[in-house]
Amino acid sequence: MPRALLSFLALLLCLSLAPLAATAQNTGLKAILQQYSGEVAKPGRQTVDTLIAALVASGDAAVPAFLQNWADREVYQRRTDGEFFYAEKQGDAYALTDIATGAPAGTAPAAEIEQIRPNGGVRRTISTALVQFQLSDPNIASRIAALDAIARSPSADQIEPLRASIETEQDPGVLARKKRLDGMLTASFGTTPEARIAAIGALSSELSVDVRAVLNQILTTRAGVAESLPEGANIARVLKPGKALTEAEAYARLVSAELAQPVQSREQIKAALTANLVDGAVGGVPLGQLVSEAGRDRAYAALAAEGLVPARVTAEDRAAALASHVFYEEYAEPDAAITGAAEDALGAVRTRVGLWQAVDFGLDSLSLASIYFLAAIGLAITFGVMGVINMAHGEFIMMGAYTGYVVQQLIPDYTLSLIVALPLAFVITFAAGVAMERLVIRWLYHRPLETLLATFGISIALQQLAKNIFGTQARPLTSPHWLDGAWIINDVAGIANIRIAIFVLALVFLCLILFILNKTRIGLEVRAVTQNPGMAASMGINPDKINMLTFGLGSGIAGIAGIAIGLYAQVTSEMGGNYIVQSFMTVVVGGVGNVWGTLAGAALIGILQKGIEWMNPSNTLAAQTYMILFIILFIQVRPKGIVALKGRAAGD
Amino acid sequence: MIKAMKFSTVAALALISAGAAQAADCPIKVGVLHSLSGTMAISETTLKDTMLMLIDKQNKAGGLLGCQLEAVVKDPASDWPLFAEKARELISNDKVDVIFGSWTSASRKAVLPVIEELNALYFYPVQYEGEESSKNVFYTGAAPNQQAIPATDYFLDELGVEKFALLGTDYVYPRTTNRILEAYLKSKGIAEEDIFVNYTPFGHSDWSTIVSDVKALGADGKQVGVISTINGDANIGFYKELAAQGVSADDIPVVAFSVGEEELSGLDTSNLVGHLAAWNYFMSAEGEANAEFIKEWHAFIGDEKRVTNDPMEAHYIGFNMWVNAVTAAETTDVDAVRGHMWGQEFPNLTGGTAVMGVNHHLSKPVLIGEIRADGQFDIISSTEPVPGDAWTDYLPESAVLESDWKDLECGMYNTETKTCVQIQSNY
Repeated sequence: MPRALLSFLALLLCLSLAPLAATAQNTGLKAILQQYSGEVAKPGRQTVDTLIAALVASGDAAVPAFLQNWADREVYQRRTDGEFFYAEKQGDAYALTDIATGAPAGTAPAAEIEQIRPNGGVRRTISTALVQFQLSDPNIASRIAALDAIARSPSADQIEPLRASIETEQDPGVLARKKRLDGMLTASFGTTPEARIAAIGALSSELSVDVRAVLNQILTTRAGVAESLPEGANIARVLKPGKALTEAEAYARLVSAELAQPVQSREQIKAALTANLVDGAVGGVPLGQLVSEAGRDRAYAALAAEGLVPARVTAEDRAAALASHVFYEEYAEPDAAITGAAEDALGAVRTRVGLWQAVDFGLDSLSLASIYFLAAIGLAITFGVMGVINMAHGEFIMMGAYTGYVVQQLIPDYTLSLIVALPLAFVITFAAGVAMERLVIRWLYHRPLETLLATFGISIALQQLAKNIFGTQARPLTSPHWLDGAWIINDVAGIANIRIAIFVLALVFLCLILFILNKTRIGLEVRAVTQNPGMAASMGINPDKINMLTFGLGSGIAGIAGIAIGLYAQVTSEMGGNYIVQSFMTVVVGGVGNVWGTLAGAALIGILQKGIEWMNPSNTLAAQTYMILFIILFIQVRPKGIVALKGRAAGD
Repeated sequence: MIKAMKFSTVAALALISAGAAQAADCPIKVGVLHSLSGTMAISETTLKDTMLMLIDKQNKAGGLLGCQLEAVVKDPASDWPLFAEKARELISNDKVDVIFGSWTSASRKAVLPVIEELNALYFYPVQYEGEESSKNVFYTGAAPNQQAIPATDYFLDELGVEKFALLGTDYVYPRTTNRILEAYLKSKGIAEEDIFVNYTPFGHSDWSTIVSDVKALGADGKQVGVISTINGDANIGFYKELAAQGVSADDIPVVAFSVGEEELSGLDTSNLVGHLAAWNYFMSAEGEANAEFIKEWHAFIGDEKRVTNDPMEAHYIGFNMWVNAVTAAETTDVDAVRGHMWGQEFPNLTGGTAVMGVNHHLSKPVLIGEIRADGQFDIISSTEPVPGDAWTDYLPESAVLESDWKDLECGMYNTETKTCVQIQSNY
């Protein structure tokens, strides 16, 4: 940090000198580049400051442009003479441009020049140096870049240029951001305590990460230990040994502050005894007695009395040392009024962060629930309503996702391709479902074990087929531009747009299925056939046809779910396998044979999974294990799921 | 059945009698044990193709010891116990002379007992967590000191990262690497509460909570960096979520140890520009050897869009070293070849020379690359060749261990007690 400060002082200095220097040295930039050519070609974050300071100090008008291009990796070095140029690829060769004058400087083959690639840390230093040139730049992108740079590495000397630029700022968005940054800089580096406290107070209505960073930095503490609390120090809190910190830690602090002697370990004592072995005795204690602990203690005490070794630190010594000192944490900021204001502000911020975290948790759970719902709703129809255990359900999801991928290859416009892909995925998986029902499942009704094995086999076959056609690489299913990004409420709560879209899609399908099952003739027939096929048949319903259509419908929805899942995760031949277990759990927990049950099941599993993840953030795998445990227990209590069908509809 | 057994006995007898006269039985068989299906297929299929290309090239150049090479490919289907079974099949039934295989450490650990029992030769091409040195395995990928430690140094020195999120898939490689990194970071003065660790299952896709957690780490004003040991196709969801939540490399840089050109080819990388990866090879490395290798690869696979990556280079080096060692030994006998592998040298594709050490690890340069919009990497840092260290210096229990199969004849030698802890690597 001090080095950054120094370089900034240099920057400021040169700003005032700039008009003078610019006329005096026209070759300044190039001369400096040659002087520091090694650093220009291979810059390092910790060493680049001198070079940047020299560049800025030169006042050459071409420096800002050079810094920008350098960071953008448009500067090249010619191998033959080590000169630097801007270069642009033209065919096989590069067209060179002079750095100082901007005039064309001939061409060079690719082998003769080398691109210079400053790393991320160096680029950050460069963008910090560029701030002063960019704050009032007519180009709004440069101004925003300057504000980003300030936000990333705030320092005291940025306040003045920032304030100066606020007066001339026209764009309301940038102006608001500049004012906000000004507030944050004032809170950290303001000249008077009053100004800082006012700025800190203003921050308490925020909750973003960078504001919390500012407040936390003001509240940085360092550990201290002394015989009594130092006068005039801004004490954060006093720590009691044995409570806030263990006695061993407290004593270690005393030792490192050189207020107490370190406790000798057994090995150290042994080494000291060995070192002072004289004529077969140590401190007058014969060697034979040294085998016992008491003997060694006596020998060591004798050595200590002679002053040959440091005195033994006993438990009493330690207790006395701990009692006679105070342990505390001291704010780095000496002004108690400022730290008090920052504590208050941070307290207010923390409460609000907590509230918004709950909102974020809700959004995440809702999103996960809607994904599970979408993946499971097709299964809710085939397994829930028809009672067919379809292990290939996940592969219908995969089929839908690959349909989306293929359509994207044919129609480059992502929005249009999505509009085409959704119904197409439905049609294809509907057809696949119907084919599977006709060819396999209808021969196996009421034989669940055979169905399970047969569909499992189909699932493996479909996976291998996908591998043969599309390869093993994950295929991109890119979402349209308007689905990129996220709905960011604030720095704590936010949700990716794609997840909102999935949520909406899940809602649409919930309504659609409810409508089909409850309000249409085919829905009536489906319910009739599943409740009593014989009776339904004698009423003039063709159970064969209804079974086929129902199975097709369930599969078709899985296909659409596949597109949704592919948009936010990966399209691979195994993607179905990731969802089949969750889907079955959702249906079983929710209650077989009921769309509302699936909804309840998805909500329960989604919230539960997020809840466990939240409690145990370091191990997402554990979350899934606990969840399965919970579900097993849940099924013991409610074997028929959350929404259990009653009466004849239950089918038993 | 009985007839077949009789026949095979006769054949075996005939082979034994012939073996005395001939140095090697033609054709020389090379086992290829990479998953062609399952979650690791995304990475491993390419390595199978690489091996076929290398063997094809060697055959066109006249084979080895006057014999043609024959590839025997098995698909262990990303199923770790199946790796052991298929390895046994390769050695006992197919009588291969060497096996090139595995991606995940879990699969290598599964294979170890088999190849040590049957004294076979195994080349493992992927960066891994170290803490191992088997008599029968040559590790041509990077050990932690050739990838994880230099990348962490880069984070500390060049990017000024003060708070670390170690995200990994839940299996042996990420867990061991993160344990080493935690010890290393603490030795560099990073406090325990500034290290956030998370493990997710293979194929994990719901990354929103974890990415928000990582973003929230910056609340105390420290620079946050992510070290990712996420493996397989879970990476796609992870990077998509990073992009969706607007995490730019300038705010929170991510360095990945298992994401290379191949993995990125399944992604739209425009939002990932500036994130990092650490490897010993990048396709974008300039040089004639690399250009030649890429050309051969494109010609072999018949697709100009296919990329090359680090484990491919590892197989390239490993295979050529094996060929040279066999040529020098004039036999494919495992013990003789092993003797000639120590000190074997072969030029890297990125320049310089790789040397096989007596601890069965290579010395290679470490490269750090930034992701470009076209899915390739800009190499922004490269070191001198670093010898691979089988036992890390940053865990107290491993710091005292050493591996030297030449003089000490031990892969787990305790330098304090001056004894060989054990020969077998069933730890």
